[in-house]
Amino acid sequence: MNIPRNEWAVALCAMPAAEVKHLANVLSGELEVRDVALPHAGLGLLNLRDGAFEESYFIGEIPVARAEVIVRSAAGVEERGGALIVDDRAQFARSIAILDAVMAGKLPGSVPAMALVQRGMAVRKQKDSERKKLLTATRVDFSLLGQEDDEDEE
Amino acid sequence: MSYVAIKGGKAAIDGAASATEYLRSKGSLQEPLSLAMIEEQLRLLTSRVVSEGGLYHPRLAALALKQFQGDTLEAAFALRAYRSTKPRLLESPVQDTANMRCIRRISSAFKEVPGGQYLGATYDYALRLLQLDLAHEDPAAFKAVAQSFLRDTPDAELPDNFPKVIDSLRAEGLLPPVAPSRAAAFDITRDPLVFPVPRSAALATMARAETGGLLAMAYSNMRGYGDVHPTVAELRVGYLPVMLPHPVTGELMEAGEVLITECEVVAMYEGSNGDELPTFTLGYGACFGHNEVKAISMAILDRALQKGMRDGPGNPSEDPEFVLLHVDGVDSMGFASHYKMPHYVTFQSDMDRLRTTQQKMQQKSQEETA
Repeated sequence: MNIPRNEWAVALCAMPAAEVKHLANVLSGELEVRDVALPHAGLGLLNLRDGAFEESYFIGEIPVARAEVIVRSAAGVEERGGALIVDDRAQFARSIAILDAVMAGKLPGSVPAMALVQRGMAVRKQKDSERKKLLTATRVDFSLLGQEDDEDEE
Repeated sequence: MSYVAIKGGKAAIDGAASATEYLRSKGSLQEPLSLAMIEEQLRLLTSRVVSEGGLYHPRLAALALKQFQGDTLEAAFALRAYRSTKPRLLESPVQDTANMRCIRRISSAFKEVPGGQYLGATYDYALRLLQLDLAHEDPAAFKAVAQSFLRDTPDAELPDNFPKVIDSLRAEGLLPPVAPSRAAAFDITRDPLVFPVPRSAALATMARAETGGLLAMAYSNMRGYGDVHPTVAELRVGYLPVMLPHPVTGELMEAGEVLITECEVVAMYEGSNGDELPTFTLGYGACFGHNEVKAISMAILDRALQKGMRDGPGNPSEDPEFVLLHVDGVDSMGFASHYKMPHYVTFQSDMDRLRTTQQKMQQKSQEETA
């Protein structure tokens, strides 16, 4: 399964944070990790386009955490990684940024990192399926009585 | 206004905090509420707090509800206080709600809307009768509810998102054309409302307004102090993916999602100006969380305020200053609560003036009878 880079972060966010941090910590022991900027958490103002006149307005704020790192392998290969997530845990963002760099540069550790992403995608798919069941179970049938077979005829 | 310093206040205030915690925890059989319980089992209450607090953080909203023992106004206040301690890191690109992953989608304007109608989770068609068996709910049976729902509901191929109902009306020329404003959206967290304000300020203010306050204003319009007469073109509840730029590539990526409720109402059509054909008018409402009454109320007020901004207010719900300065729960609760603070000096002054006035009147009365 080839998962594009712009879906890695959200897939990793679907996984338990402890698991993501653990893998990032293990890889950090084998690779050199430098912070481009200190990981930080704060707020983002969420800008929405209104559905009536397509004007933009701020519906409110969301927590955001951001991290950016450079990861260097023992062979001297460097790759930049980053994360910007709707979350308030800066260190969690840093862990994702490390994995982002590892996978982008296909550095040592990219296989288990991608496996984690794939599991995260599966979790998202499952959640998506559960939400769709809320729709499936409640679809309104507007066909008139008698137009189609219905349970009253049984 | 004057306040006075007194001795012993700190001990009383500390005691009040202990007494409050005592009432929260008394009862040896009680277990403390977990945040997950509040967030999931009282999801609509949590929704109120995330929208009225203006911060989409359901876990902290649940914490605030726990801390303030279910008081939504205090919980929203705590969330606003929390947000004021955090740095602003970014302003998101404009998000398109057409990308919402709906869990409910209805229209009272058309039966056959493109994509279909889905009731989702709603009490709209439920009898308002107490479900007495919930008073002694069996934990095993409780856990089985979700499992059996998922097991018994078949998987179906459904799209990830749905077209907007008003797009079809617009395509028919029944709605006013879109003329997107290039003006930057108004940030109510940084700038005070100085009237007249742009529509983006009104939408932002109403998005974090107190539900009951917003409903009261909209209800006055519905009952007759206004002429919106809305039809809900579409009401949708769902998860909006938040698209932010990747820190390295700059490419937009999904950074998370927020649950929102969104409503578009179609209202009375307006006559033409010159060669333009008449079209329906529109109102728009949206807020964090699942809160349909709030989104509908906001949409009605948006339409009412558009008229008030253009022609001048004909009733309270069309007056931007009246509506926008009175719907914020934290503001209004703060003002109401401040009356509980000691006003000993000002009240002493009121009493002195009253006594003086009474004395003067009695003196005058005695002089007239003498």
